[in-house]
Amino acid sequence: MAVQYIEAKNVNLTFTPPNRMPVTALQGFDVAVGEGEFVSIVGPSGCGKSTFLNVLLGLIKPNSGEMAINGNPVSGPGRDRAMVFQEFGLLPWRTVLDNIGLAPELRGVGKRQRRALCQSFIDMVGLSGFEAHYPHELSGGMKQRVGIARALVSDPDVLLMDEPFAALDAQTRDIMQAELLRIWQEAKKTVLFVTHQIEEAVYLSDRVIVMTKRPGRTKTIIDIPLKRPRDYEMRVTPEFNELKLRIWNELKDEIDTQGGPQL
Amino acid sequence: MNANETPAVEISERSFYDRYESLILGTTFIVLVLVIWQLVPSVFTLSKGMKLFFATPTMVVGALGDLIESGKIWPAVQFSATAFGVGLGLSIIVALPAGVILGRSQLINDMVDPFITSINATPRLVFLPLILIWFGIGMWSVIVVVFIGAVFPLLINTYEGVKNADKLLINVVKSYGATEWEINKLVVLPNSMPFIIAGLRLAIGRAVLGVVVAEFFGGSSKGIGVIMVRASGTFQVDVVFAGLIMFMAISLVLTGIVRAIEARFSRWRPQETKNY
Repeated sequence: MAVQYIEAKNVNLTFTPPNRMPVTALQGFDVAVGEGEFVSIVGPSGCGKSTFLNVLLGLIKPNSGEMAINGNPVSGPGRDRAMVFQEFGLLPWRTVLDNIGLAPELRGVGKRQRRALCQSFIDMVGLSGFEAHYPHELSGGMKQRVGIARALVSDPDVLLMDEPFAALDAQTRDIMQAELLRIWQEAKKTVLFVTHQIEEAVYLSDRVIVMTKRPGRTKTIIDIPLKRPRDYEMRVTPEFNELKLRIWNELKDEIDTQGGPQL
Repeated sequence: MNANETPAVEISERSFYDRYESLILGTTFIVLVLVIWQLVPSVFTLSKGMKLFFATPTMVVGALGDLIESGKIWPAVQFSATAFGVGLGLSIIVALPAGVILGRSQLINDMVDPFITSINATPRLVFLPLILIWFGIGMWSVIVVVFIGAVFPLLINTYEGVKNADKLLINVVKSYGATEWEINKLVVLPNSMPFIIAGLRLAIGRAVLGVVVAEFFGGSSKGIGVIMVRASGTFQVDVVFAGLIMFMAISLVLTGIVRAIEARFSRWRPQETKNY
């Protein structure tokens, strides 16, 4: 097996909310992603898939486990990773341009250079002409385009995406998925994508990791051998639906059905 | 065609009155009150005692004019304004960083919270005798009274704002490697701005109150408050009113300044009024 680009081994995380019992979020969690690969993680709500992204991003310290990106161990935030957040996470008092320029600004890049640097990414995500707009003036889809551009500007090796399209309406989500594939092919990044939507995971990914319910572990990994570039029609092929069904069959035992109908 | 159609009613079609309705109504009412006030002595016959304590708007304007013309008011205005400005300035310098530190560090907050809560719960006038002993009668006593009045609302509001700062946005800048200082500058302070401005509004009120209280209760021998107390002692009601108007005018100007600051910091906010 080739050297893995993102490698997480035996990650354990337990946290104690105030006045509550400790919760084990991740238990012996492993992930391996090759360079340039698009890998999705699906799992039931609360299985720790978003938590794992925050651990890999360096915002949460795991209790134990090893993580490395391109051989460099992860210990805190770093330039080799950038996250696209579910709720966009745009600074509402900054314009589109200044939101996208956040990472270079923190690195001390001057204003004019920053502008030049951001412009190609603004064009890439299709936001030309909106540079001076504030987030509240944008639609949800456009906000997430800003989120993607902001992550790409920092030129990370790895793009982490935490249910980036969950806050969007169905049609906008379809468009953004196609846009993401286009941007991914253009920017050539390794992507780790968390979602609870099976169809989204199949459409976008090279491989899909199915997680167990909490405490989260890898249940199975499913290869998605669909050819690229992928288009919308592919979603109605029998092949596509078989993959969806396979993932669903793995996932359904993990979904907590307490109080609901038995599957 | 742009999706945002122009509103059906053109702005220019609205009449002068429609456009300035609230302004016209407000001004008219003030003028009406002043006119009635002015007419009171000529409509009602006031007793001798009442006459002594009564001042019409023209008398007040006259007294104010005299104070300004004779130049007697300027040292007092300068004194009061300096005490106000220095006291408020010091409270801003202390309260903003302290509020950020308290909001960001649970440890320090736990240490000093009882102290802040107890002083804030105490009427500030209680400290006046102590302050007079420590700082003597004069400018510094007034400054200290202004300071202890203004610092707490600003500190507590800043703290609340910082504590409620958006965790997601903090995580965003953290993930790009921001230091604690950068987190505060880029997220925490802008995010707390509405709280801080509300605190500033309160602090300005308390600071003006501090000047008045300190000058009324023997904190200094100068200032607009002192002129008012002395005039009151000699029944110069018109001069007392003149002092009152000075304080009113100052408070109005300061409110205007806070509004301007608020507008400067909320340009990015969605407009409150929308085209329906």
